[in-house]
Formats: sequence, C-alpha cells, structure tokens
Amino acid sequence: MKPHRRKKLGIIIFIAVGLSTAIGLSLYALSNNIDLFFTPTQVAAGEVTPGQRIRVGGMVKEGSVEHSQEILEVSFVTTDYNHDVLIKYAGILPDLFREGQGIVAEGAMSADGTFVASRVLAKHDENYMSVEVKAALDAAGNTPGMPQGVLQ
Amino acid sequence: MWLWFSKLGSPRWFYELSNKWLPWLYAAMIALMAIGLFWALLIVPEDYQQGQTIRIMYVHVPVASISLACFPLMAVAGTITLVWKMKLADMVAKSVAPIGAWFTGLALASGAIWGDQIWGTWWAWDARLTSLLIQFFLFIGVIALRSAIESQDAAAKACAILAIVGAINVPIIKYSVEWWNTLHQPASSISFDSVAPNPPEVWVPLLIMISAVYVFFVIALILRTRNEILQRERRSQWVIDLVSREKSV
Repeated sequence: MKPHRRKKLGIIIFIAVGLSTAIGLSLYALSNNIDLFFTPTQVAAGEVTPGQRIRVGGMVKEGSVEHSQEILEVSFVTTDYNHDVLIKYAGILPDLFREGQGIVAEGAMSADGTFVASRVLAKHDENYMSVEVKAALDAAGNTPGMPQGVLQ
Repeated sequence: MWLWFSKLGSPRWFYELSNKWLPWLYAAMIALMAIGLFWALLIVPEDYQQGQTIRIMYVHVPVASISLACFPLMAVAGTITLVWKMKLADMVAKSVAPIGAWFTGLALASGAIWGDQIWGTWWAWDARLTSLLIQFFLFIGVIALRSAIESQDAAAKACAILAIVGAINVPIIKYSVEWWNTLHQPASSISFDSVAPNPPEVWVPLLIMISAVYVFFVIALILRTRNEILQRERRSQWVIDLVSREKSV
C-alpha cells in the first residue's frame, strides 16, 4: 500500500474508532433514559416519583388478574420475580395479554403505591412454535426458555 | 490479489461480467421467492401465541436484515473511494443508498403492522425502533447530500464520510435489544430439535426467504450500478460502441 493511502486509511480508522468510543460512552451514560420501561425492582428501589409519567414492564403474575364485573376495569400484578407492582387499568387489553405474559404498562404511580395505567402493551418473546409443538412440550412438562429473555 | 482488485474497480469489466451473472441471479431469485413465499404463507403452521400473524415475520426479518447490511456496504465502498479512489466503489455507494432507504422503510412498515397486531401499538420509542428510524433518516441524508453537491468528486467524498460515520449506528441497532430493555424482542436462536421453540419448520422457510430477498437486493444493486456506469462513462469509447451496437440490432 502506498504511504499516502496508508495515511488516509489510518485517519479514517482513527476517526471511526474515536467516534464509536464517544458515542458508546454517551449511550452508556444515557442507559437509564434509553430503557423503555422501569422494572418492578427499580420501582421498589424508589427510582420513580408518584405522578411522574413512566412505563413499567414485567410479567403478569399467575393468578393475579382480576376483572371488574361491571366496568372495563382490570387489576393485575406485574413482577420481575424479585418485586411486584400492582397495576390498575381501565381499557382494552391486547390479545396477547394473559397470566405469565410480558407486558409494558404506561401511566403513573399513585400515592398508595399502585400503578394506574393508561395503556397496556404486550411484549412477545423470541420463541416461535406451532400449536402442536407447544402441546408436545407441555405434555413433556417442560417449556424451555419461556419466561426468561422476555423481560429483556 | 491487487491486480484482481484493480480489475474489479474497472466499470467496464464489471458491466460486462455482471451481464453474465444477471440471468443466473434472476433464475435463483424466482425459484427461491416462489418456494419461500409458498412455504411461509401457506405451509408454516400457525404460531401458538401469534396465530397467522407469524407470517409477517417472513417478510419483516429478511427486509430488516438487508437494511442492516446496506449501511456497512456503503461505508466499505466509501472507504475504498476515499483511500483508493476506485470509480466503481462510489457508483456502488450511490446505488445502494436508495435501496437501503427502501428496505429500512419496509422494515419499519412491516414491523409497525406486526406490532399493531401483537403489541397493541404500531410504534414505541424503544431503542430498536428509534435506532432503525435514525438509520432511515441517515439514508435520506446521504441521498440528499449527494444531490446537493454539484461536483461529483466532492459529493463522493462527503457521502463516503457520512456513510462511515453513520455505520456506527448499525451495531447499535443490532444490539439495542440486548443492551437496553425494549418492547422489541431479542433475536431468536434457532433449534435443530423439532420439538423445541424455533424448530426447523419455523426457520428453514425463513432462511429461504432471507436468501430470496438477498438475491433480489443484489439484482437491484447490480442494475442500479450498471445504470450509473453508463451515465458516468457515456463519453468513453466502449459505451459509445455498446450503444451503437444496441441500436443496430
């Protein structure tokens, strides 16, 4: 390689590495703001002030979903298996909403420690399989990789 | 190797060689696309969670994967332009930008349709979606920058620099789902076990669709680059000969 080309290539690599480092460091510093939602552990640690509009994400705890008999109101517990957050929501839930499903709720913490959601989104995991395969796995009594990864 | 490198840089050599490649690429694309679409849309079983909506994956994943390949390609071509001043490299860089913009737009659109069905929203400002949107704007920026600068050489240099800088976004898009918590799910890992999540019945047709769309991308890139070669070399003797031969036929 001719010297002037080597020099040019050197400059390009230097700029690319320098910029990547700068961007990498700023993204690392901004990590908390880039995350889409708070986990129940973060809520329990008091990182959220009541009234502040935030998103909370976690799994819908088994057996925690309670539908109101008269109105379109539902309450459920979302968990990251360390801490729980009780969520109250009046509105239409996504089709994928069910116990054990990963969800993201948008809203604010109220003073009594429940989270009042104005919108609930379903997260889906990266596992795809047919109804038959799922049935076969359930029959064998193991669903590998189901809950973990969903919280990512 | 260096001889081969400089030969590949000759637009005329590329024009003549790609003429021989194109029929094979067309045949491969039609075959792969027919098998892939038939398999993905009709044979793949319904997903246990998502039902028929799973079929969107067979369009979304191929276009998204190619949209991620376009920017590094443009950055590599830009580096070659800046360091070796190879003419063909800038023609490829110019040709790949609109294709990359289209594929990024299609990835965003197919993802929005899928998200509307499954998440309950067509858009969220999570790291994956936002970084892909930034890539879309970067492509538009590269196209606009090139058309804003009149001198061809100056435009080539400016676009090369923007392509190299913008390529830093690609690993951010790729790993956004692992570095931060997002609504978008992380990448699936495939399994060779037929009774497991992501069995071959799910990913084999996906692999075929990805190859089909990749071949389509290569064809589109070659055609645009050939067009660019003819335009830039229109005063050279071999293009004049080629045109007069075409006319006499």
